[in-house]
Amino acid sequence: MKKQEKYNSVPVKPDEITPKHIYQNRRTFLKQMGVVGLGALLASCAPGVTSTPSTSETLSDITPSGIGSELENQLTSKEAIKGYNNYYEFTTNKERVAELAQDFVTEPWSVNVDGLVENPGTYSTEDLLSNFEQEQRIYRMRCVEAWSMVIPWVGFPLHKLLEEVKPTSEAKYVMFESALVPEQMDGANSGMFPFPYTEGLRLDEAMHDLTILATGIYDEPLAPQNGAPIRLVVPWKYGFKSIKSIIKISLVVDEPPTLWNIVAPQEYGFYANVNPNVDHPRWSQATERRIGESGRIDTLFMNGYAEEVMPLYEGLDLTENF
Amino acid sequence: MTGRKKRFNTVKWLRILVNVGGWVPLLILTIKYFTNNLGFDPIQSALLRTGRYAVLFLILSLTCTPIRKILKIYVVSVLRKPLGMFAALYAGLHFAIYAIWDFQLNFKLIWQAIIEFPFIILGAITLLILAILAATSFQKIQRKMGKKWDLLQRTVYIAAVLDIIHYLLAIKGDLLSLQGNYTWPLIAASALLILFILRIPWVIRTLKNLIFLRKETRQR
Ligand code: HEM
Repeated sequence: MKKQEKYNSVPVKPDEITPKHIYQNRRTFLKQMGVVGLGALLASCAPGVTSTPSTSETLSDITPSGIGSELENQLTSKEAIKGYNNYYEFTTNKERVAELAQDFVTEPWSVNVDGLVENPGTYSTEDLLSNFEQEQRIYRMRCVEAWSMVIPWVGFPLHKLLEEVKPTSEAKYVMFESALVPEQMDGANSGMFPFPYTEGLRLDEAMHDLTILATGIYDEPLAPQNGAPIRLVVPWKYGFKSIKSIIKISLVVDEPPTLWNIVAPQEYGFYANVNPNVDHPRWSQATERRIGESGRIDTLFMNGYAEEVMPLYEGLDLTENF
Repeated sequence: MTGRKKRFNTVKWLRILVNVGGWVPLLILTIKYFTNNLGFDPIQSALLRTGRYAVLFLILSLTCTPIRKILKIYVVSVLRKPLGMFAALYAGLHFAIYAIWDFQLNFKLIWQAIIEFPFIILGAITLLILAILAATSFQKIQRKMGKKWDLLQRTVYIAAVLDIIHYLLAIKGDLLSLQGNYTWPLIAASALLILFILRIPWVIRTLKNLIFLRKETRQR
């Protein structure tokens, strides 16, 4: 980026942050998880909003700060979020994933955090839920196939976990690996893809406050098709970066191999930042279909999170490093 | 006399089968649309369905000639035209869904896509060929064009090859290393390859001999 540009973040509208239908029936789940802060939170105005779990009624009163009103987003329905999934370990048919994944065993579960860290550790789902304050984050999700959703995640920033394991000074990248259980995953044996699914982020991207590990959607724990019990969500990158059902997080020196980059490096880069100006070789990325709406809307630079994330990419040629 | 009557009946029924059957996918699509059964991304669903129907009908229309020549079942030749017409119909619908429903007639974006992406160019050329063939398929025009008409008809092979490549490119993955779900486009490609092989005169002769010599020996 030679020219100094000013980026505006395009947050989700405030009245969408806690629509009635969410806070009215999310209590049980959120209470269990001890959810506190909410909102489409921006790096510059990280939550800081806390309340005791017993006062979940007051969740509705919390108005996250720093929320603009430029975006006319509607939350994508729970049915669509749970019924339209890319999860190739099960099938390449988006509308069949839910059914094929329903018996996927996510309990017990553990995530190994290792590599270049001072305190490597193994975390169970319960550890992740209880050690880290769960908050709601409403993010756009933009798939590289040019469709999108607006999803109310529940989770916690990845940097909180990383701060606990303490990356050493050599660590430059974070590598993630998905579970691969061929007996439970119909598509995993087809030989169509080099599973296990792996993904990676630069350490500074992983430390960014927008990057979260998600444990729930709306008022429910993650469903298997959405990446239960724990998945990554990086809202300014194409959906395939947000790896599902994580079993391993490693801090490493070199750029880790990532599944879609292995499969088709000319089409799927390591960065995979949402960028309407850099087309996929086979289709344009300038517009997208928002699931549940008809017609197309313009795709936002960095998926609308440019203000927060552009400092990460100063001096980087985004066309070359797509 | 009875033989002729029987043949007439077969022709009639085959014609009805194709002319009714060809509308069934469209009917199902329409019902699914109006009953909200096209899934969470109805545009994509309708786009992919019509694309696949176009390929299916195109391949079916190309099976008529080999069946006639090799199996000497002459009645199927009356099906070639309606099958080709349905291929053109579904290809046209496929593009209409893309241009009208998906891109809301944003001509700038559509044109950009057509000139910029090989995947879309292939589809566009295929559609163009199919449209021309459909438009010139009337007997009056056929008679007027004479020999040229036969030549023009041959472009259907180009269309068939291009649409299969378009199909292969529509799949997310890597074609060269075959990583991705290429099952159906590869089945379509194999079918097309077999149909091409079945047009080689030497193959036709050999197969014909094989089939009909056997029949004769059996009859003796
Ligand atoms: C200008 C003309 C055309 C355009 C703009 C076009 C556009 C597209 C697009 C965008 C897709 C991918 C949809 C997706 O993956 O989301 C697609 C898929 C497809 N198209 Fe076309 N197309 C055209 C012509 C044709 C023609 C003429 C045929 C066949 C005769 C055809 C057959 C197919 C098939 C079989 C698929 C894949 C379906 C699947 O993956 O199941 N297309 N087309």
